[in-house]
Amino acid sequence: MDRRKFLKSTVTGLGTMAMLPACAYDPAPFRFFTQKEAECVIALTDQIIPADESGPGAVYANVVNYIDQQLVRVFRNEQSVYKKGITALQNSCKKIYGQLFHELEFDTQTDFLIKVESNNVPKEFWDGIDPAQFFSMVIRHTMQGFYGSPVHGGNKNYISYRLMKLEYPQVVGQNRYRRNHGE
Amino acid sequence: MKIKRRKTITVIVFIVILVLSTGYSGWNAAHPRRSCASCHEISPSVETSLTSAHRSITCSQCHGTALSSGIHSLTEKMDMLFTHVSGREKSSQDIRMSESQIVEIMERCRQCHQIQYADWKAGGHSATYAHIFLDSTHNRTERPYWDCFRCHGMFYEGTIYDLMEPVDNKGPWKLKNPAQANVPVMPCLSCHQIHSKNEPRQPAMAHDHPRNIFYERDQRNIPFGLNVRADRMFLRADYFIVPGIFKDGKKVNTPAEYDYRLCVQCHSPNYTHEAGTEDDRTPTGVHEGLTCYSCHAAHSNNARESCGACHPAVSNCGLDVTAMNTSYISADSPNNIHSVACNDCHPKGKGM
Amino acid sequence: MANKHVNAIVVGAGAGGGVVAKELAANGISVILFERGGWPVYDECINDELRNQRTFVLGSAFGPDWDRHPRVLLGKDGTKRIVVANGWDYSHIAACVGSGTVSYGAMAWRYMPEDFKMKTTYGSVAGSTLEDWPICYDELESCYEKAEWEIGVSGDDRNNPFAAPRQKPYPMPPFENTKEGTLLSAAARRLGLHPFPIPMLRNSVPYDGRPGCIRNRTCIGFQCPVDAKNGTHNTVIPAAMATGHCTVKTHCQVAEVTTGTKGRATGVRYFDNKDREQYQTADIVIIAASAIETARLLLNSRSKLFPNGISNESGWVGRNLQGHAYTGADGLFDHDVRDRIGPGATFGLCDFNHHNKGIIGGGLLCNEFHDLPYGFSQFRPPGAARWGKAHKEFQVKMYRRISAIRGPIQEMPNFEARITVDETVKDHWGIPVAALSGERHVLDHEHCKFLSARAEEIIREAGAYQTWKTIGGKGLSGSQHQCGTARMGNDPKTSVVNKYGQSHQVDNLFVADASLFVTGGGFNPVLTIMALGYHVGNYIVKNWNGSKFK
Repeated sequence: MDRRKFLKSTVTGLGTMAMLPACAYDPAPFRFFTQKEAECVIALTDQIIPADESGPGAVYANVVNYIDQQLVRVFRNEQSVYKKGITALQNSCKKIYGQLFHELEFDTQTDFLIKVESNNVPKEFWDGIDPAQFFSMVIRHTMQGFYGSPVHGGNKNYISYRLMKLEYPQVVGQNRYRRNHGE
Repeated sequence: MKIKRRKTITVIVFIVILVLSTGYSGWNAAHPRRSCASCHEISPSVETSLTSAHRSITCSQCHGTALSSGIHSLTEKMDMLFTHVSGREKSSQDIRMSESQIVEIMERCRQCHQIQYADWKAGGHSATYAHIFLDSTHNRTERPYWDCFRCHGMFYEGTIYDLMEPVDNKGPWKLKNPAQANVPVMPCLSCHQIHSKNEPRQPAMAHDHPRNIFYERDQRNIPFGLNVRADRMFLRADYFIVPGIFKDGKKVNTPAEYDYRLCVQCHSPNYTHEAGTEDDRTPTGVHEGLTCYSCHAAHSNNARESCGACHPAVSNCGLDVTAMNTSYISADSPNNIHSVACNDCHPKGKGM
Repeated sequence: MANKHVNAIVVGAGAGGGVVAKELAANGISVILFERGGWPVYDECINDELRNQRTFVLGSAFGPDWDRHPRVLLGKDGTKRIVVANGWDYSHIAACVGSGTVSYGAMAWRYMPEDFKMKTTYGSVAGSTLEDWPICYDELESCYEKAEWEIGVSGDDRNNPFAAPRQKPYPMPPFENTKEGTLLSAAARRLGLHPFPIPMLRNSVPYDGRPGCIRNRTCIGFQCPVDAKNGTHNTVIPAAMATGHCTVKTHCQVAEVTTGTKGRATGVRYFDNKDREQYQTADIVIIAASAIETARLLLNSRSKLFPNGISNESGWVGRNLQGHAYTGADGLFDHDVRDRIGPGATFGLCDFNHHNKGIIGGGLLCNEFHDLPYGFSQFRPPGAARWGKAHKEFQVKMYRRISAIRGPIQEMPNFEARITVDETVKDHWGIPVAALSGERHVLDHEHCKFLSARAEEIIREAGAYQTWKTIGGKGLSGSQHQCGTARMGNDPKTSVVNKYGQSHQVDNLFVADASLFVTGGGFNPVLTIMALGYHVGNYIVKNWNGSKFK
């Protein structure tokens, strides 16, 4: 490690140490979503891939974490779409049912999403965002978070692969040069 | 004037050192929730460790303190602080230990788990990079490639081309960084995840006897799994799918236990899943259905003393099995203990 | 500091470029092989489906990246859209040494003799520039053989009555059928068709010092973990480097071909891995950057002598962009048809490549590579649920009970499907970007209807309880089988290069990738690209006397 980097680290380190007592213990689980937004997204993912007899769904798989992670990386450009879409969704929900989306019963949420899918929602909240397209995007992202590699934040404990009975990690030996040498 | 100034500076420096040392000791002795967990990136790991079997052990006992390995650990901790302050939008998932940190932690595991460490060291799983990647018989017939690290070297930060040269089947081979030669390819964390929910056991005891393993497992979560290099995560053994293994067209009765599921991840058959192919050791024949732990001790994988657990009580022959013509007695025996069947010696039935 | 002069520059270390570089270097001709990407690194993406080269949701394993390589799409209505490589309409080709040959599915088809003589076989087609190639199959046969043996192909075409004639068999035995392949082959045979193993650029047995295939599920779109998938990056390019006459320069973006006052190519202007502008002089320049990038490079190489781009006197550079419209059918079964063994595609049939009634050309039909979980979640029969419990049930239950037969339809070249360069949009290095415009010929969709119907018949015969077609064949072509933009021909007025890939105007400028194709065949193109690499390389070696061509 070169001297410059060492000095920079030391100074910052000492400085931070001095400030540490001021850091309140505040776990911020999400990088982009606020707590309220996250609740809405969790409910959305629960609708898109619900837990059922075959096994757990998107909530267990922590798909909201996938979406949150990608929104500060590859999906940076979708940040405003998500913010606006979630707000529009909540407002539409409030208007139709008098409650926020994640407060509704499961079946009511399903009915509402079918309305969103067919653009059958109060237009005044959806300025500049197409409800069906927004929902399609959330569906796509949920599927990616559920069926993709856990390295991207979702698919906790390979739940989707286990549900699909996919042999994962793949069990395949290599071409050996010694065969069963008796060890 | 000059002397007074020097005195003042000395006093100030002394006070600063006093404060820093007190703060430092206090920090290291404090409950993890008040120290390490102040950084939100680490707090999920702290919470998990408090539900783990190691819950009564403080962070620094495994991860070391800033001064535990001289300048190296000091710079490491400063780096962590620097990243915390400067890194944007980081979370607990972005934090990964380097291979050198993992090996360093292993030396601390050893302080409490001396027996397991010694067993591991005596067995095959303590192989080093030099053992595995510079084996010329292996490399000549089975040249190195990307996938090697999946089973041995899962923490290596680099590719096969960074590790050694040449990457071919001609040799002579050498490691690009000689310091890598003595690094173990399968340290403790290959199969164990410390930060995972579990109940504590008795203090480290000799649980290497096969019988003890079965006895304890019921009350606790499975304490082992595999660190999957491809997805950079640890998967507990009970989450593995049981692979279907076949012999001569029929499905083999594979062991139900979770340790088999772990072992077969690396000791795998080829793509046909035929028992006994490639690295596979799935028992067929007389030992079919027995899990690896029935015979192989956990960390040393030693099976020499295991026969007595079942023989002669469950022997059909009443003979001393350790004297029979199997690979237990000699590596050249045609009857591999993993696949030996009655027909191998009794092709015509009971009469020899 | 000027770079040392070399005999030849090859732009693009892909299927064609790698082969040409090796042919030249092996004969003592000094070569610099430029590649815009780097050497492919397996450990970066391993088997991450979301960064797979074909499912590039979070990026593609082997590039191109989304920051530095924009392109422009020109709509019919005059609209202009800037696109990056995160969508199918960009038509990306992998940016790494070996290019697509690192991560492809590796089907290794020889074209049939009729594919080189489309006009003679079928006559002219209204609205299409359908034409014969200036070379015939027989002239390329030895080059196909070289590609099969030097790069390594597993196959057996003795059960294919439509197979083009061959002198030597394949170097490696064919891959076995999967469970699904066995079921569908039997159905095809019952219908009187002739299924046979797909020839693959993969080792079915250890070959060339590398192991045999481990039947990985994660194959197409990924690099092989055991290096059993053969491409130019692990065969001919290392061989070229070993001769001592070839240097591979990675992370170099070539901006234009430089010309002197005498109307010959003098080298290239490029940006190195630190974005510094440099010049490299050479006696011969060979472009093999993929159909879209080759056309772009030629069009960007403007000078007083070549105001419309080098070698573009005919105006045909960038024209006739083709690819393959994939068409076919899927079916659902009430029992498991797919097993664990990858990668999936095992049999093909050439019954519909040619001489189909009422159809010009046709295409191959093969069973498909296995779907991966996310990809499968995006694919459903018409009318099926797209989310919710029903979607999840389908995912879990039908993953092994679905089967697909698909094939590449031979497209009718359309003069208006073309590449130009945009004057205002520039890439990271300030080079004008490629602009894609036009669309497929109207017959392509009709031909797709034909082929997908044949696919559906096979799946239905195999016992599917529900089948549906995916027809396709509309919109602009290109994609990973892009070809045709610097077509070879005998007439300089209707082609860019001659039958040896040599520019009609500039005798020391060559093209050696799929841009050469006159027509695209109804097959995956890579083996033909490799064969053309040997063909062009062979001509240069025979006719280059050290200072000029004979």
